Amino acid sequence: MAVNREESAMLRGRFGGPARSVGAFFVLLVFVPPLLLLVSGSFQTPGRPPSQTPELIPRPATAVGYELAFEWGGLLRATLNSLIVAAIAVPLSVLVASAAGFAITLLSRRARIVVIGLSVAALMVPSTALLVPRFALFRWAGLTNTFVPLVSPALIGMSPLYVLAFYLAFRAIPRDLYDACLIEDLTPARIWWRVAMPQVRPVTSAIAALAFVTTWSNFLDPLVFVYDRDLFTLPLALRSLAALDPTDFPIFLAGAVFATLPAVVVYSIAQRRFLQ
Amino acid sequence: MKKVLAAFAAIAVIAGGCTKQQPQGAPDLGPIQVLVSGSPDEIAAYKTLIEAYKKAKPGTEVQLLEASSSGDLTTKLSTSIAGGAPPDAFLMNYRLYGQFASKNAVEPVDERLKASKVIKASDFYQQAMSAFRWGGKQMCMPQNVSSLQVYYNKALFTKYGVALPKDGWTWNDFLGTAQQMTRDAAGHQIKAGETEGGPAPKAAVHGAGVEPVIIRVAPLVWSNGGKLVDDDQKPTRFTFDDKASLEALRNFIDLRIAYGVTPTDEEVKAADLVSRFTKGQLAMLFESRRVTPTLRNAKDLDWDVVSLPRYGNPAGILHSDAYCITAGSKHKDAAWSFIEYAMSPDGQKIITATGRTVPSHIEVSKSDAYLDPTKAPKNSKVWLDAVPHVRAVPTISTWVEIEAAVEGILENAVNRGDKLDAVVAEIDKQTKPMFARGVTP
Repeated sequence: MAVNREESAMLRGRFGGPARSVGAFFVLLVFVPPLLLLVSGSFQTPGRPPSQTPELIPRPATAVGYELAFEWGGLLRATLNSLIVAAIAVPLSVLVASAAGFAITLLSRRARIVVIGLSVAALMVPSTALLVPRFALFRWAGLTNTFVPLVSPALIGMSPLYVLAFYLAFRAIPRDLYDACLIEDLTPARIWWRVAMPQVRPVTSAIAALAFVTTWSNFLDPLVFVYDRDLFTLPLALRSLAALDPTDFPIFLAGAVFATLPAVVVYSIAQRRFLQ
Repeated sequence: MKKVLAAFAAIAVIAGGCTKQQPQGAPDLGPIQVLVSGSPDEIAAYKTLIEAYKKAKPGTEVQLLEASSSGDLTTKLSTSIAGGAPPDAFLMNYRLYGQFASKNAVEPVDERLKASKVIKASDFYQQAMSAFRWGGKQMCMPQNVSSLQVYYNKALFTKYGVALPKDGWTWNDFLGTAQQMTRDAAGHQIKAGETEGGPAPKAAVHGAGVEPVIIRVAPLVWSNGGKLVDDDQKPTRFTFDDKASLEALRNFIDLRIAYGVTPTDEEVKAADLVSRFTKGQLAMLFESRRVTPTLRNAKDLDWDVVSLPRYGNPAGILHSDAYCITAGSKHKDAAWSFIEYAMSPDGQKIITATGRTVPSHIEVSKSDAYLDPTKAPKNSKVWLDAVPHVRAVPTISTWVEIEAAVEGILENAVNRGDKLDAVVAEIDKQTKPMFARGVTP
């Protein structure tokens, strides 16, 4: 543990001070202006020709875009649907991915290589290639037009990448610790939950944040699996606002601001935990 | 394994037995799913249409499946067809439906149309009907019969004292007008080539805006007496090496390269053509009927529409969407019943009220539902006058790919000034294999 602290202090020294500030400045320079324009654009008046140059402070500023985004896009219902899907899918993904990652750690060397190889191969399969088989399966099970197809990726840890990330995190914990737990008659499940998981909290936060953003921004699955407007998630609702006339763009931008906020909040929370 | 399969089969049989069975002879009331794409106002119009249909035919059940763009609609449709559960009906442009018709995913409507007591084939413009014929069969029922025309900003013309364009004008008339309307910030006309090597003054107003895509070039080629492809029925290649076709293509590209009357790629990326038109930065805009609601909503915009400029013969390009029944539908009669209503004068008037479509029903197109004199544009009749001259691009299953490939090449030609010979050769090189792969009716 002392070594780890030294290492992290060294890292902080190398990437701290002015270097860190300069890095942060450039990151802000890339990401903040578009966000500011997104927010300011959402307060423009809908129905008017877009301004010739971007206006940071719209004159007059109005919240009509937000009102219409909720009315035309059904954002309230869509947000609730997205929250329900995320509330189920994110914890489930983290649990499954971490459990799978831990299981790989305990496998024999040969089995581990096979499983990792399969995971990497699965990572390379484009999700669109699986769309039709998934549709056929869910239709056969009578689960299309429900949230089940949207949550189901969580049952395999959302992505093989998350499983591998957990595996790498668990592998960094000394093997002796697991062996000691086994000698103490702890079951693998208890070792995973009581011993291993508390050691990888930053990774858990990062994976949870990534799983949230993946679920929150998932467009293709709702497009294919959901029919009822009442079951639309935010990306689908936003897409319908994107089809508005160019003069109504503030309405789409207002919807985009609304859809971005939860992701910003989740990242802020995850970042704090990650730094801890 | 056999036991597992037997169990699955048993479940399938039981599930099949649980579905609602239609008593023999009773009308098929659905439920049906209808897949459409469009902006929120179009979707609202389809919802109104469905409500009106349910009122006219009590007991029917229709579920509207929404997509925001034709791309999303295609994704949803192709996945559901491949997955064995397609919607019962869908609305699609004739340029896109070939990919589904070629795979027998669309149910012909001839028999039902012949037997219909609500509509008949002669109620509709044949130019639109024929675009949806595949293998001699009527596959879908066209909802609209739009075409490419020229919108113009009347206030800008008045401001610069330039004569308003008139129907029947020629390409040279158009080019002269576009040059007169291309102005700098001080309102002075920008004349191409005047700066002699120096940087050209930046235009505050461009004379015209037209997307560099094949469906914009095609009617100009036809008007000049040229051919777009070697064989309209079984196309194998574009024929831009033909003299008349090449001239039309050159003149199209020269709008930007030689005369600078159209905005640059960077300018269009900063604000698209419709936005520029509504802001008074574009005097004329080549578009179909679809932008009419946008322009109607643009406050303080004084505008009208004029026919597409012609070379020798008047020519136009068809823009049409149609209702199709999927071959995999379990309620084809119910789907047809809905389409019958949507195509009837009552149904057509509901969609025409959006302002976005030119109704394919001849009687409705000549009524106030479409030619409402209180609503812009005043010259809505221009779309009806164009109908006898409109032509469709070839019906081939790979047309979507072909259009996308040509778009990239034309964009480069218009923005980089690629040599015309190289442009034509590149179009040929890229699209020939796509034509070869394509299935034609």
